[in-house]
Amino acid sequence: MSVWNYVVTAQKPTNVTHSCVGNFTSPQELNLIIAKCTRIEIHLLTPQGLQPMLDVPIYGRIATLELFRPHGEAQDFLFIATERYKFCVLQWDAEASELITRAMGDVSDRIGRPTDNGQIGIIDPDCRLIGLHLYDGLFKVIPFDNKGQLKEAFNIRLEELQVLDIKFLYGCSKPTIVVLYQDNKDARHVKTYEVALKDKDFVEGPWSQNNLDNGADLLIPVPPPLCGVIIIGEETIVYCSANAFKAIPIRPSITRAYGRVDADGSRYLLGDHAGLLHLLVITHEKEKVTGLKIELLGETSIASTISYLDNAVVYIGSSYGDSQLIKLNLQPDAKGSYVEVLESYVNLGPIVDFCVVDLERQGQGQVVTCSGAYKDGSLRIVRNGIGINEQASVELQGIKGMWSLRSSTDDPFDTFLVVSFISETRILAMNPEDELEETEIEGFCSQVQTLFCHYAVYNQLVQVTSSCVRLVSSTTREFRTEWNAPSGYSINVATANATQVLLATGGGHLVYLEIGDGVLTEVKHAQLEYEISCLDINPIGENPNYSQLAVVGMWTDISVRIFSLPDLNVITKEHLGGEIIPRSVLLCCFEGISYLLCALGDGHLLNFLLNLNTGELTDRKKVSLGTQPITLRTFSSKNTTHVFAASDRPTVIYSSNKKILYSNVNLKEVSHMCPFNSAAFPDSLAIAKEGELTIGTIDDIQKLHIRSIPLGEHARRICHQEQSRTFAICSLKNQSSAEESETHFIRLLDDQSFEFISTYQLDPFEYGCSILSCSFSDDINVYYCVGTAYVLPEENEPTKGRILVFMVEEGKLQLITEKETKGAVYSLNAFNGKLLAAINQKIQLYKWMLRDDGSRELQSECGHHGHILALYVQTRGDFIVVGDLMKSISLLIYKHEEGAIEERARDYNANWMSAVEILDDDIYLGSENNFNLFTVRKNSEGATDEERGRLEVVGEYHLGEFVNRFRHGSLVMRLPDSDVGQIPTVIFGSVNGVIGVIASLPHEQYIFLEKLQSNLRKVIKGVGGLSHEQWRSFNNEKKTVDAKNFLDGDLIESFLDLSRTRMDEISKAMSVSVEELCKRVEELTRLH
Amino acid sequence: MGSVLCDWPSFDPHNFSQLRPTDPSNPSKMAFATYHPPHSRTLPPPDQVITTKAKNILLRKFYERAEEKLRPKRAASENLILEHGCKQPRASTSC
Repeated sequence: MSVWNYVVTAQKPTNVTHSCVGNFTSPQELNLIIAKCTRIEIHLLTPQGLQPMLDVPIYGRIATLELFRPHGEAQDFLFIATERYKFCVLQWDAEASELITRAMGDVSDRIGRPTDNGQIGIIDPDCRLIGLHLYDGLFKVIPFDNKGQLKEAFNIRLEELQVLDIKFLYGCSKPTIVVLYQDNKDARHVKTYEVALKDKDFVEGPWSQNNLDNGADLLIPVPPPLCGVIIIGEETIVYCSANAFKAIPIRPSITRAYGRVDADGSRYLLGDHAGLLHLLVITHEKEKVTGLKIELLGETSIASTISYLDNAVVYIGSSYGDSQLIKLNLQPDAKGSYVEVLESYVNLGPIVDFCVVDLERQGQGQVVTCSGAYKDGSLRIVRNGIGINEQASVELQGIKGMWSLRSSTDDPFDTFLVVSFISETRILAMNPEDELEETEIEGFCSQVQTLFCHYAVYNQLVQVTSSCVRLVSSTTREFRTEWNAPSGYSINVATANATQVLLATGGGHLVYLEIGDGVLTEVKHAQLEYEISCLDINPIGENPNYSQLAVVGMWTDISVRIFSLPDLNVITKEHLGGEIIPRSVLLCCFEGISYLLCALGDGHLLNFLLNLNTGELTDRKKVSLGTQPITLRTFSSKNTTHVFAASDRPTVIYSSNKKILYSNVNLKEVSHMCPFNSAAFPDSLAIAKEGELTIGTIDDIQKLHIRSIPLGEHARRICHQEQSRTFAICSLKNQSSAEESETHFIRLLDDQSFEFISTYQLDPFEYGCSILSCSFSDDINVYYCVGTAYVLPEENEPTKGRILVFMVEEGKLQLITEKETKGAVYSLNAFNGKLLAAINQKIQLYKWMLRDDGSRELQSECGHHGHILALYVQTRGDFIVVGDLMKSISLLIYKHEEGAIEERARDYNANWMSAVEILDDDIYLGSENNFNLFTVRKNSEGATDEERGRLEVVGEYHLGEFVNRFRHGSLVMRLPDSDVGQIPTVIFGSVNGVIGVIASLPHEQYIFLEKLQSNLRKVIKGVGGLSHEQWRSFNNEKKTVDAKNFLDGDLIESFLDLSRTRMDEISKAMSVSVEELCKRVEELTRLH
Repeated sequence: MGSVLCDWPSFDPHNFSQLRPTDPSNPSKMAFATYHPPHSRTLPPPDQVITTKAKNILLRKFYERAEEKLRPKRAASENLILEHGCKQPRASTSC
C-alpha cells in the first residue's frame, strides 16, 4: 500500500521571485538577499563576487520581501510576508550568526476576497507603517510606534477594487500611498491617499492622474529630492508628481522588473518580457524634473527582479531562465550591447514537463526537463551522483590493487601506475607521446602480488609484497635495500607514506619501519592478540610526510585501535560491535576536521571524529554504502581532498559546510581506485572495474549535476523513444516581429547530442498539447503520437484538434496518419495496445486499424463523457485515472467485452488539478493549484455502491509547489538488495524548478519517521517563528486540515545537520541511539 | 549615451574588483549552508506578535462617530450634561 508517503526535495527551488540589496549582516557589509519562493538566500558582496552566506528555508511561499531601516538602527531589517498571510521581521545577529525574529504575525482576515493580481506589501520610507493589500477593497496597516515596535494592525477601506500596484511616496509629511488601478471600464488611473493613522482612515491625497496607458502596470516611487512616481506602461512611461507630469513613448513592451540605480532616484534599470534591459533616466534641473530618457543597454535573461549591487554590477533574478550577474560597461561591445554577463546561476523553473530516462544505460535514471520559457526555454539533463569522464581504458582482468608513483619526490605529476594481480605486478607509465604503456621498475619484485606501494623521500619508491619491503630509486629504478619478513611469517596487510611503513604479518605482529636514504629501519614491533585486517598511516597532521598516529583494524574482537608512532603504544581502542570485520581504515581530514573512516565487510561505513592529539574517537556515525566490502582511498580534485569508497556501489565521501556527504559515482562496481595525476591526464583517477582499467576525470563534487541545452524557444512537452534513441518535444517559438505571432513545432532530437534532427511545423494557431511514444497491437513499429489543439482567439475552449502519428525513419519524423478531434487533446496514453486520448470533456479510445490499402488509421472505439476538462490521465491495466480541471480525480474502467469505458469512482472534492499519478492499484496521487498534494484510495470493499463509488481521501499535505508533472522513476541507482531499493518512488517537477521525490514507505518506517518529525519540530524552529505544522497543513479556499500520511523529508533529513547535543536530545526523546537515527536518515538521503 | 552610463554608485569600490567572468554556458551552483535555527530567538518578543484589530471597519466607524458625538457634549458645559443627565456613554463604545 502506498498510503504512507515521504516527500523530499532533490533540487531546491531555483526560480528567483524577489531580490533586494542592503546592509543586513553588518552596517559595513552590503548584502544581496534573494527569494526563491520558499527559501531566501543571503549573499555578501565581496571583491571576488557574490559570496553565499546562508540558505534559509521559509515555512511559506514568499509574497513580499523588503529590507528597511527602522529609526535609530545601524543596519537593515528584513520584512517577509507569505502567501498564507503570515509575516515576520528578521534581524541578523552577527555575533551569534543567527536570524532573530523581531516581530511576526498573522494578517489574514476572516472574510475578504483575495486579490487577483497578487499580494502587495510595502513599507513607508519613513518607517511609520507597513502597508498590505491582500484582499480586494482593503488596505491593511501595521503601524510602527516611535520606538520602531510594531502595533496592532487595522484595515482601511480602499475604494479601488482592481488594484494593479501600490507604492508609498517619498518626502510626504504624512504617509502617502499611490494606487494604480483599473476602473470598471478597464481604464487605468492613479490616485494618492494619505494614511491618517489616528483616524485609521484614508484622506484624499495631494494629486491623481486619470486615463493612463492601458498597459500601465508598475509604479516606481522616486526618492527625494525629486519625489513623485514613475508609471510604467506598455507604450508610455510617465513621471507624475503634484507639480509635474512628463511622458515618453517607448517601443511596445511589458516591463517585468525594475531596479533603482542611484540613491537620488535619477536612474532605473527596466527589464522587459523579451529580456531587454533598458536604462530609464529622469533628467532634472536641481529639483525640477525636466524629462525622461530611455536607453537600450542589451539583453539578459527575462528578469523577474533587478537589483543594482555595486560598481556597475547588477543582479538579474529570473523566473524563466538562468539568473545572472551582469556588468554595465561604458562602451558597447561588437553587438552594441553594454551588458556583460559575469556569471549565471542555474534555474530549472518553470519545469513544464519532464521525462525519466536511462541514457547511459547504467540502471540509473536521469531527468530531462522542459525548463524555462520564451527565449530562455531549454532542456535540462539532471542526474544524481558523480560522473567519471572516461579518457582511456584497457581490458585487464583480475586487478588486486593499484597505486600511482612519481619519478622523483618533488615531481608534481605521477609517472607510474602500479597494477597488482594475484601472481604478478605490472607497471604502466606515460610515454613521451602521452600514451600509457607497460614499462618496468627493475628494483621491484614483479613476479608476485604487491600489497602496497608508495613514493618515498630521497627519490625512492617503496614496494611491499608478502615477503618483503623493497626500497627502489625512482630515478634509476634500481633496487636499494629491503626488509624481509621473518621466516615462517608472511605480510598480510601493509601501508606506507613518504617516510613510514606499517605492516602486519600473521599471528598479530605489527611492524613499524622508517625510510631513510637507501635505508629501511625497523623501529618498533608489537604483538597483538588477534590478526590484523587493515591499517593506515595517512599523514593528516602538520607534517605531510609523517604520521604520528596509526590506525589498525582487528579480526576477532572487531575493533579499531589507534597507536602512537613511532612507539606503537595503543592509545584508543574502539569496539565496532556486530560480527563484520573492518576491511579498510583511513585517517583523513576534511575542511580542517580530522576523521577516522572505517569500512566494514558488508558495505557499511563508520565515521568518527578524531582528536589528533589524544587519539580520541567521538561522534560515531554509521551509513550503509553498498553490500560488498569497501576499499577507501583519498584523492584530490580542484585542490580539495575527497575519499573514494570502491565497492559494489562506489561512492565519493566529501565534506561541505563541515558535514560529511556521500555522493554516488555513476559506475556499477569498482574494485579498486587510485588517483593518477599525470601531465596528460591531470586530476584523473585510475579505476578498476569489471575486467577493465579506466583512466578518467571526475565531475565537480556535488550531488546533482545539471546540463543545460538552450533551445531559444519554449519546450512544453517531452518524451523519449528508446528504439530510435530520440527525444520528441512540442515547442513554440515567439516571432520577434511586432505581431504577437508564435509558431508551434514538433521537434525530434538525438538523445546523445541533443541536436534537432527533424522538425514538423504545426498549423497556424495549432498548439502541441501532449506527446507519447507507443506501439499498437498487431504492429511492431514504434510511433510518436502528438495531440494538438487549435487555439483560436474567438473561442473560449478549443473545439478542434488533431492526433498526429509519426514514425522515425532515417532520423526524420514521418507523418503516418492524422485524426481530427473535437477539442484539445490534453493527454495521450498507450492503453491495451490502443491509444487513449483526453479531449476536452471526454476520454476517447482509438483502435489502430489496418486499411485495405495497407495504410493505418486511428478509429474511434469508445469514450466517456462527464468531465469539465480531462487534463491529466494515467492508466494501469484496464483502469484509467483522470485529473480534471476542477473536479479532482476520477477512476474509470475499460470493459473489454462491452467495449465501453465507465466511471467506477470519483473524489467529490472540488480540486483544480495540476497533475495525477497512480501509486499502486488502489492509491492515486494528485496535485492541485493551491500547491497541495493529496492521495485518494479506491474503496473496492465498500458495502454499498455509494461507498464503492467514492474515492476516499487518505493523504493530504501542503507542498508549497505547483507541480506540473509526476513520473515514476528514480534519480539514483536502485540496488535490489538494499533497503531503499525496495521503496517505490515518484519524481515531481514544479514551476519553481523544484525536482522532488515522493517515496511510498512501509508502515513501520513511516511511524518511526513520523515520531522523528514531531520531535524535530520541537528542536528546529521555523525562521520568523513560522510554524511547520501550519505550513504543511493542507489548505485551499474551502478548508485547512493537518497534513496526514505525508512526511516532510526535508525536515527529517535536516536531522543530519544538527549539532551533537541536539541529536542527543532527539535520541533521548525517541529512545533510539544517535547512531541508529543517523543511519536511518542517511539511508533516506539516498533516495534522491 | 556615455554620459548616462558613468558614475555608477559605489558603496565599496573593492566589491567585484577581482571578479572575472565565467563561462555563461556553464552556470554556477552556489554551495550554501542551510540554516536550521534550533534556538529560542525565532520566537518574537511577546508584544510583537501582531494581529489585526478584530472589529470591522463599519463597527469601528459607528463607535468612532458615537465617541465623537459624545465628546463635545462632555466638553461643552456642565449644565448641558445636567440637562441630558440620563444619557451616558455605553460601556461597549470603548473600542
